[in-house]
Amino acid sequence: MQAALQPFREAHALENAWAVAQILSPVAPIDDPGRLYDFYRASNEHMVENDVRSVLKYSKQNRHLKNESDAWTDIFVSYWRAIGEILRAEEASNQGRLRDRQAVEVYEAWKAVATNIQKFVSNGMLPSWAVVCMYSAANHLRVLAIKADEQLAQTRNGATFNAGFQDDVVSTTPKSEKLEDAARVFNRMFALCLGDRNPDMNESRKWGVYYMANLQFKTYFKLKAITLSKNVVKAIEAQSDLPLFELYPKAHQVTYKYYVGILAFLQEDYARAETCLQEAFDACFMQAIKNQELILTYLIPCRLITKHAIPSADLLSSFPRLQRIFGPLVACIKRGDLPGFDEALVAGEEEFVKRRIYLTLERGRDIAQRNLLRKVFLAGGYEDLKEGQTEADRIRKSRIPLANFAAALRMGTAGEGSGQILEDDEVECMIANMIYKGLMKGYISREHAMVVVNKKGAFPGTGV
Amino acid sequence: MPPHPPAYNPVPARTTLARPEQPAQPSLGKPRKVDWPQPVRDYVGRAFEPQNVIEGISPAEMQAKLKDLISFFAGRNQLESLDWTTYPLPQQLLVAERRAALPPVEVAPGFANNVPPAPVHSSGLYTNNNSSSPQSARKRKSNDASDDLPTVQAEDNLPPWRKTNTASLKDRITYGNNHNEKRHKKNDSTSKSFEADLEKRKNRFNLGKSGNQTTPPWSSSRNDSDSDMPTGPVVGTNQSLEKRYFRLTAPPKPETVRPQHVLEKTLDLLKKKWREESNYGYICNQFKSLRQDLTVQHIKNSFTVSVYEIHARIALEKGDLGEYNQCQTQLKALYKQKLGGHPAEFTAYRILYTVYTCNKADMNDLLAELTLTDKAPPAVRHALDVRSALALGNFHKFFRLYLAAPNMGAYLMDMFIERERLHALANISRAYVTVALRFLTDELGFDSDNDCIEFLTSHGAENLVEQKTNDKNESQLRVKIKEGAGLFDSLRAAAFSKVDIKGQI
Repeated sequence: MQAALQPFREAHALENAWAVAQILSPVAPIDDPGRLYDFYRASNEHMVENDVRSVLKYSKQNRHLKNESDAWTDIFVSYWRAIGEILRAEEASNQGRLRDRQAVEVYEAWKAVATNIQKFVSNGMLPSWAVVCMYSAANHLRVLAIKADEQLAQTRNGATFNAGFQDDVVSTTPKSEKLEDAARVFNRMFALCLGDRNPDMNESRKWGVYYMANLQFKTYFKLKAITLSKNVVKAIEAQSDLPLFELYPKAHQVTYKYYVGILAFLQEDYARAETCLQEAFDACFMQAIKNQELILTYLIPCRLITKHAIPSADLLSSFPRLQRIFGPLVACIKRGDLPGFDEALVAGEEEFVKRRIYLTLERGRDIAQRNLLRKVFLAGGYEDLKEGQTEADRIRKSRIPLANFAAALRMGTAGEGSGQILEDDEVECMIANMIYKGLMKGYISREHAMVVVNKKGAFPGTGV
Repeated sequence: MPPHPPAYNPVPARTTLARPEQPAQPSLGKPRKVDWPQPVRDYVGRAFEPQNVIEGISPAEMQAKLKDLISFFAGRNQLESLDWTTYPLPQQLLVAERRAALPPVEVAPGFANNVPPAPVHSSGLYTNNNSSSPQSARKRKSNDASDDLPTVQAEDNLPPWRKTNTASLKDRITYGNNHNEKRHKKNDSTSKSFEADLEKRKNRFNLGKSGNQTTPPWSSSRNDSDSDMPTGPVVGTNQSLEKRYFRLTAPPKPETVRPQHVLEKTLDLLKKKWREESNYGYICNQFKSLRQDLTVQHIKNSFTVSVYEIHARIALEKGDLGEYNQCQTQLKALYKQKLGGHPAEFTAYRILYTVYTCNKADMNDLLAELTLTDKAPPAVRHALDVRSALALGNFHKFFRLYLAAPNMGAYLMDMFIERERLHALANISRAYVTVALRFLTDELGFDSDNDCIEFLTSHGAENLVEQKTNDKNESQLRVKIKEGAGLFDSLRAAAFSKVDIKGQI
């Protein structure tokens, strides 16, 4: 045990929080795959508490460690037990004999580690940097909870009868029991960070606020309880004495902005979503391609709505995955190719729905349609020059027959008998929509079967 | 096998918010020495006699049972009135109890043939002269029997609620064995007062239930409920076609539950009554009790599906969204198990309903669930078209779809048709200066020009309609739609801001 805890004592002496967090990990480091085994072998259930205590308490070099030894002993003992569960589960799974609730046992054992750390951080028995260990334990807890739920889902087959006196046949058992459980742990940790009253900002747990918030976001998104995330945002916004957002680690900032942006996006508050996502994107680490892709996945549909803007070819080409999912759509919008747009939307539907951007992208059809109608307008050409007018003030024809628009909108559809025929009234309806949404200026005259567009700015924002 | 107290109790509405008084506090302070009647002492003595020991029953078990028994009767003031000389000994009761706890399957055939269930434990243990009552013979657990016997005996002078025997079940849950002696004394101390006794029983009942009240529903563990609830299904014996719905507060009695073949007739009857009388209050109540009977008997088959489907349709027809949503939730789970029914029809309703609630997140989830095969049936196709038409603002197509809604889709679309009409009007008012009334009638899916005018009038837009003669000297009703732009915009915004989603799950 002496040897097994040596790295910890060294890291602790240096107050190297991340190193300590690394040591308290349920996953062995890549360069030392046997570390968990070695640690577990260093003791047994009977002796572990005394073993750990004697090493930590009678530490000569480190006075602080001595004072904190009770807390660290509890933590390491629970850690040792959790490692035991993890190793047993690993072994069983390698032999294909994983028991029904084994992943749950691993989860419970690790939960003890996480709540232990939280407890000692809370009652001040650990130094302030131990907040980092709390994050890391919490993050591992999330992963283990997901595994436990996966296993539970496999063993639980189909809907069960409810045992209570309820009136209906099928009960609603929570699908991700353990992750919900973990979410409650995270919530306590979050409150612990947020509510710290230590006036010395160097020692404040408030520095953990955004990390814990991000962890909660991740969990709630996974749980499909997205609305709960709003409470986290509200709690943070109501807390007036947090350190400046810019002073937090960049990673915390970017992740937080990303999630707040997505929350706004899902509530269809696209203006706010755009601001947040743009900030996240600008601050994102250059080489974190995957993160940039994630941000852009929402920022692109967002800008399609707010600015009617499509991403440049340059931007897309540096993100192959985005090129694949957005490329065809963007090309069709640009060309005003409505059938192509519909096709691309159907082709990508699965991916879009999964990312929750389908319903937003669908609205991009308006832009494609605007571009198409604009082409009709441009093709209409100019009015004849009147006396005294020069080339410079030639104006485009502002009265365009409905039939022209109808012909454009019908392009590419299979025509009569295909079930896709576009009625004349429907054409009017689509143009009315363009006008209503402000994508086009003018009015429809049914009597003359004409669309009269504004002489100036018929299609706002497109230069004509 | 659990005891069978009555399946339900009509519970009086709570009139105050005060919590029921906890029974333990007031009487604990003054424990009093009790004088046991001689017959009880003799009975206890007999229970401990070596010749009465039954193999397999430990002395501890016997003593626990004995305490239970005595405190039970003491609580009812019946220590004196009971004939202790002939009352079965606790160990005998335990034997009967264990025998009764055999799997219920063996009893089932009897039930199915509509023969009253055989008294499983009537093995000559009951020498009590009251036990010949058929009422008590139906009890399947001796704990109940011990409970029931004096009840029968005292039947005439007891109010009906006292005949219920939930107490013994609750007692066992609420207190451990070591509490019984204390409780017995406590009960005895105040037992002279009938009122106090009644209050106590009520409180005890609440106490047993208190787990349900204090723990939030999401944290109540399933294992907990298994311990005090029947794990196996009830097999019903009730033959009546109609039954009023009561919320269950205790495990149901077989004689109040109707078996499936009766329920099938019930469904036919309800369908007929609905066609003939259309009394929704009655029908809904009957359907709820029908659903309850299915649940307690764990009947989950195509019949269950059709019950929920029919109830959902009727609720939809009457716009009872609460009940409709409950049925939908159940149906969703039932369809997953491939029990037949009309999943496409109800998937379409679900889509239309989500269109109504305007919940983008739900809609996204719903779309994510649908597979290509799910999307193929015409009803689902229609609902998806409705969704996309509205998403793209294609009101022309939307109102065409409204007129062609399959099944009962039109009832659902009725819930948002007014809103969408206002939306379309707001739209048209920006794009046209004036339009023929007929154009609005056609575009907005009205049956006639009059309906259209009525709609405009009811929204304060009657002044926009004017009589005009066109070039060919034909008189025509026209609408100065542009002037209504502001009005329609604000009406539209108001209509979209409130969506009633009661009972949505």
